[in-house]
Order: sequence, then C-alpha cells, then structure tokens
Amino acid sequence: MSKKLTFKIWVLIIFLLFSLISIFGIPPSFLQKGVLITSVDHNSTAFELGLRKGNIIIGIDEKKINSLEDFLEIINSKYPSDKDIKTIIQTKNSEIILYSKEAPEIIVSKIPKTNIKLGLDLAGGARALVKAQNKSLDSKEINTLIDITSNRFNVYGLSDVKVSPVSDLSGEHFMLIEIAGATPTDLKKLISEQGKFEAKIGNETVFIGGDRDVASVCRNDATCAVITACNPDGAGSFYCKFRFSVYLSEAAAKRHANITSELEVNETSECLSNKESCSLEKPLDLYVDDKLVSSLLINEGLKGSDTTQISISGSGKGETEQDAYTNTQQEMHNLQTILITGSLPYKLNIEKLDTISPTLGKEFIHSIFLAVIIALIAVTIIIFIRYKNFKSSVTLLVISISEIIIILGIASLIKWNLDLPSIAGILATIGTGLDDLIIILDETTQKFLSLKQRLKRAFVIILGAYFTSFVSLLPLMWAGAGLLKGFAVTTIIGITVGVFITRPAFGDIIKNFIKE
Amino acid sequence: MEDQEQQNKRNWHDRNYKKLLLIPLILIIFSLVYLGYFYHNNQDIIYKDISLTGGTSITIYDQINILELEQNLQDKLDEINIREIKDLTTNEQKAVIIETKSNMTTTKNVLEEYLDYELNGENSSFEFTGSSLSESFYKQLLIAILFAFLFMGIVVFILFKSFIPSLAVIISAFADILMTLVVVDFFGIKLSTAGIVAFLMLMGYSVDTDILLTNRMLKRREGNLNHRIFGAMKTGMTMTLTSLFAFLAALIVAQSFSNSLTQIFTILSIGLGFDLLNTWITNVSILKWHVKTKNE
Repeated sequence: MSKKLTFKIWVLIIFLLFSLISIFGIPPSFLQKGVLITSVDHNSTAFELGLRKGNIIIGIDEKKINSLEDFLEIINSKYPSDKDIKTIIQTKNSEIILYSKEAPEIIVSKIPKTNIKLGLDLAGGARALVKAQNKSLDSKEINTLIDITSNRFNVYGLSDVKVSPVSDLSGEHFMLIEIAGATPTDLKKLISEQGKFEAKIGNETVFIGGDRDVASVCRNDATCAVITACNPDGAGSFYCKFRFSVYLSEAAAKRHANITSELEVNETSECLSNKESCSLEKPLDLYVDDKLVSSLLINEGLKGSDTTQISISGSGKGETEQDAYTNTQQEMHNLQTILITGSLPYKLNIEKLDTISPTLGKEFIHSIFLAVIIALIAVTIIIFIRYKNFKSSVTLLVISISEIIIILGIASLIKWNLDLPSIAGILATIGTGLDDLIIILDETTQKFLSLKQRLKRAFVIILGAYFTSFVSLLPLMWAGAGLLKGFAVTTIIGITVGVFITRPAFGDIIKNFIKE
Repeated sequence: MEDQEQQNKRNWHDRNYKKLLLIPLILIIFSLVYLGYFYHNNQDIIYKDISLTGGTSITIYDQINILELEQNLQDKLDEINIREIKDLTTNEQKAVIIETKSNMTTTKNVLEEYLDYELNGENSSFEFTGSSLSESFYKQLLIAILFAFLFMGIVVFILFKSFIPSLAVIISAFADILMTLVVVDFFGIKLSTAGIVAFLMLMGYSVDTDILLTNRMLKRREGNLNHRIFGAMKTGMTMTLTSLFAFLAALIVAQSFSNSLTQIFTILSIGLGFDLLNTWITNVSILKWHVKTKNE
C-alpha cells in the first residue's frame, strides 16, 4: 500500500505546521511557568525598576511562582503592611528588589496558553461606540477626539485600551473604545464626560483644564495629593476630603493676580480675631461641564498675588467609610485627569456600551469546543453511514479539524481578535467545508470519467460556491460600524483556506484511497 | 426489481414535476401574504430584540427566582424580557438575562435595588445600545443582505451564463429566506444582529446545493437527465442533512450558554429544512422544465 504525498498534501501539512507554531509559539507557551504582567502603573516604583507589561514573573522572594494562585498567596500574605518591607521579584531575565508598604502596582494574569487573541465578548472587557452630540464629525475631527481620549485613558492609568475610528455604511464616523479585562466602574463618565474644567471667580475665568493654563498637576505623591480626613456625615453615610496641588502657567497666574486684586476681604468675626483665617469676598468656583463641583475660599494672603501653585480640594461620599474613601480617591483621580488633559472638543453620546464579565469567558470557550466536537462527531457518523467507508469518514473529520487549526493560526498571526461573530464565521466555514468535501467524495466515486477529470469537475462546483459566498460576505465588512466584521473576515479566511489548501489536499488523499 | 421501482419513480417525476412546482408556489404566496399581514400589524417584517431596537441587556451570574424578579420589575422597567441560562448537565440555573428598552443607568439602579448588591464587571455583563444606533444598524444589515443577494445573483449569472437556470438558483435562495423568515416570525422569535447574520449564512448554504444541481444537470452529458438529477440529489441531500444534523447538535449545546449562537443555529436549521424543499422541488422542476423545453 503506497501512499503518495502529493504537492497539495505537502502544502496542507506545511500550513498546518505553521499554524500550530503561530498558535502556540516556540517554545510552546503552555509549557511556560509563572505569571504574566499585563499592566504596570507608569508612575510606580515597579515601573522605575524596570518591570514592564509582558514580563513573566517566575519567582518572588526565592519562592517559585507556578500559577496565579501562588502569586496572590504570597502577595496577599505580605501586603498591606505597616512598614516598608522587602520583596524580590524574579522575572525571566532579571531580578528587582522593592521596598514598600503597598503591594507592587502591577496587574498579572496567567500566561495565556496560546497566541490566540480573544475578543471582548469571550475574554471580558468593555467596548463603547461614541459619537459627538448633535454633530457629524469628519475623519479629521474624529482623530483629534481620539488623540485626546487616548491621552485621557493614559493619564487615568488604563493601559490596555484601544481607541480607534470606525465608520459605517451610511458614512457616519464613530470612535470605538475597547478595554480588555476588568472594567473601571466609572467608565461611562470617563468616556462621555466632556471634562470641561473651569476655575472661576464670580464670572471671570481664572484657568481652565489642559496644558495652556495648567503646567502640571500633583498626582500619586502623598506630599501634595492626599485624602485628608474621613468622617460620618450624620445621616448614616460617610464622606472624605481630598486635596491636591495644581501648578499654573504664568499667564493663568497673572489672571489670578488681576482678578483677586480687585476683591475685598470678607471681614467676618473670625477674621477680625485671627488675621490668618481671613478670606476674600468671592470664592474660587470649580466647574466641571458647567456644573459647580466645589467652592474654595481664597485666603487673604493670596490677594493680588500671581501665585502659580493652587491647592484644589473636594470630597466624596459613600455608604461605608471604605466606600467613601474609594469614591473620594476616584473623584480626585477624575479631576486630576481632566485638569491635565483638558476638555474634549465635543459633547459626546455613548451609542453603545458593552461590558462583559471576564469570569464566564473560559466556560464559554469550553462550551463552544463542546458544541464543535459534538457537531463534528454527528457529521462523521452520518458520513460513515452514507459511504460505509471508515477511511474517508476519518479523513473528512481530520480535514475539517485542520481547517479550524489553520483559521486559528492565521488569526493568531494577524492578531485578529476572535469574538463571537468570528466564532460564528468559523462554524460557517466548517459547514461549507463539509459540503465541499462531500461533493469531492461523491464526484470521485462517479465512474464515467478519469479521476483527474472527476476532481476537476468537483472543483468547478466548489469554486462557484466559493465566489458566491465570498461576494455575499463583503457588505458585512462595513455594515454596523464593523461590529460584525469578525464574521466576514473569519469566514473569508476559512473558505479561502478551504478552497485553495485543505479541500484540494482532501481530493488527493481520496485519490490514494481509490487507487488502492 | 429495484431498477424497475426506480424507473417507476422517475416516470412519476416526469409526469408530475410541473405539478410539484405548485407546492413551493403556494408556500411562497402564503409566505408573502403572511409577511404582508405581519408588516401591517408590526410595521416591520421581523420582531427585533434590543440589539436592533435599542435598550439594555444585563446578564447576572447568580441564582435568582425569575418569576419574582419579573413581577417586581414589571412596572419599573420598559418592556422587560427575562430568561435564564441553565447548565447543560446539571440543569442548574447559572445566570439570568434581563432585557429591557430602558437605558443602562436606570436598569442597573432598579436591579441593584432589587438584588441589594452592586452589579460590577465581575458578577454581571451589560450591553447597552442606543436607539438611533440600533436603528441604523438594522437598516445597514438589511442593505448588507440586499447587496449580498445582489452580488450572489451576479456571480450565479456569470457562472451559468444562462437566464432561467440562474434565476432558478436565485428563486430557491429567496424562497429559503422567505419561508424561514415566516417560521421565525410565526414563533415570535425576536431577531438580534446575530440572527440577521444567520440569514446571510443561510444564503451561502442554499446556493451550495443549487450550484451543484445546476452544474450536474446542465454541464454534464453522461446518463440521462433523471439520472443526473438523482445523482445530484444523493450528494446534495447528504450535504444538507449533514449540515442540518451538525447544526441541531450544536444547537443543543449552544442553548446552555449563548443566545446569539442559539439563534444562528435555530435559523440555519429551519432554513436548511426549507432548502431541501426548494432545491429538490423548486429548483429541480424549473431546471427540468428548462432543459426539456430546450431539447424539444
């Protein structure tokens, strides 16, 4: 029994090998031990010491880290602590030593077993489709908006964010924001808030957010940005206060001097008894998106002074003291972010906002696998009953599976995010693939012509079906702001691979069987 | 003996293939009337779910009594629809999906009040679509299907370079979609974007067998016409039945975890059922008629 490995079969084998490499990498990533750093706070000591996104931690304090559980167990047992403690973090290429009270500001996850990138609806995360309110933006305006928004996410400390322009069939432009993994609770605010910050005295603006007026803002530095106190508010809830410094540009400082110099001192009884507590007649009002968020009394000492350093304060509330603290931190963080990045040029509308819990993703993928396997088994049984040929049935199954592997390989290679529409696309491919394989099987068993002619005939039908599917998928590339693009792309990859690689190879394999 | 039987069958088909066309014809007319009536009542040809009308869908990963939940939310949220997701093996409730036309903030607040805990990225998933966006989504998907159909038609014409056979393929594909749509509407299935994509997939599957049939009937010379039809039918039936069983198997699994996939498989299963009818009655009869007239 001689099996001929024809050119077409070799092509299939080579594609399969490359796909496996593209999916698993060399060395295969499922053999690697440790945890993967998925993000590092840019202002943290860990970052300064050289820890980066993508590093793999293999040990802490000489103890081996094999899993996420190992990592969390060690970190949770050490932190938070009352005094600075030493932690040695070993990555694959280096070792760093940290001294701190708080756990290192890094986010880690398991090392992914494959290079397959999962979309938000499978891996969890958030996605928002945003449009300007009452205004149709052209592509240039959208790009400006994207720059500012990306900057805002950066400043806010979210690193795994992708902001991109999308447009749809009707020519409408949108901004698409995709955040992988856990979703910040105030995402909606972060995205849609225009963030127009104004500091006014009476009707006159002293400074606004953005680098024209604000030279820098103190953040993550306990000497000039703090939560000062938390207290019960008397009604069962708690509130906390925050304060941080803002450094103004010279122009803004001059404005401050001019405006304050014309203000009277508010002579309250307290002021008369203690010169230190005297303040000016009008406060410094802080507005965010035209809403008053805080009114700060201006100390008499600042009257007419072109001070560049201003202290901004505010507060946050919560049901418990811990909640209040977290909310206050959040408020401070928001305010700092819009002070640095300035206002967005447009009021925005969130047209679509999806946040998908990452916890169920894994189970989802298992279920899909189960569905595919059960479907394939069903198919194999039917084919076996129909043709009563064990070899052909198994080959058909193998070819179907190789189509899936090659699609996944190409998807990993081009870093395509596999989302639910893409999975549907893969299923569609398996379906049409089976149809084609059955045509090949049937044509080769017809006894009128030479084998070569029979195969040629099969491919005339297959190519016809291929082109009809191909063109009918094209409109989907653009419809619906590209949210269903995944379906079109994976199906096109799949049927192309099928028609030009796997199905011709199947034809040749079947030829071998028939010759026997 | 067997040959004789087949001979009889074929003779029967030769006598009756034109009459057989009445079946799809009646079904098509009935479907069009039904859809017209449906459109008159609902101002649309389908029931749309919130991904096409706008609204919020929240999945909560917890065990919640859905009857109580529904009663409680009825007058607080707009047009609610509650479903549960069950584990395939244990039949235990895994999650609850609440769909409503209300916006995200309202829905979240109402649910949090009822459940008495905070819904966050860990214990729940949210999907919100604004009504203007979903409206334009819907329009664009319809346009996409229309264009897909048009492109498909053009390719079919290029392939066969003959008017009637190409038209027969297009009519079969159209009838598949139309009849499936009627069944989907009849059972009150609310279509999502995924469901509309399923119709696009259906078009592909439908055309596959039609191309096979047309190719065998028109471009081959071996055997007589009935022989070729029967051969094509054996291959085509295997194709459609395999796909159908695969989809039914996948449907059983998908039901436990994904609404979108469940909808896709349901529509494809219904559609492939009709494809059997439309390929092997509608398309075969038109083609046979065409070939016979041409030969006379």
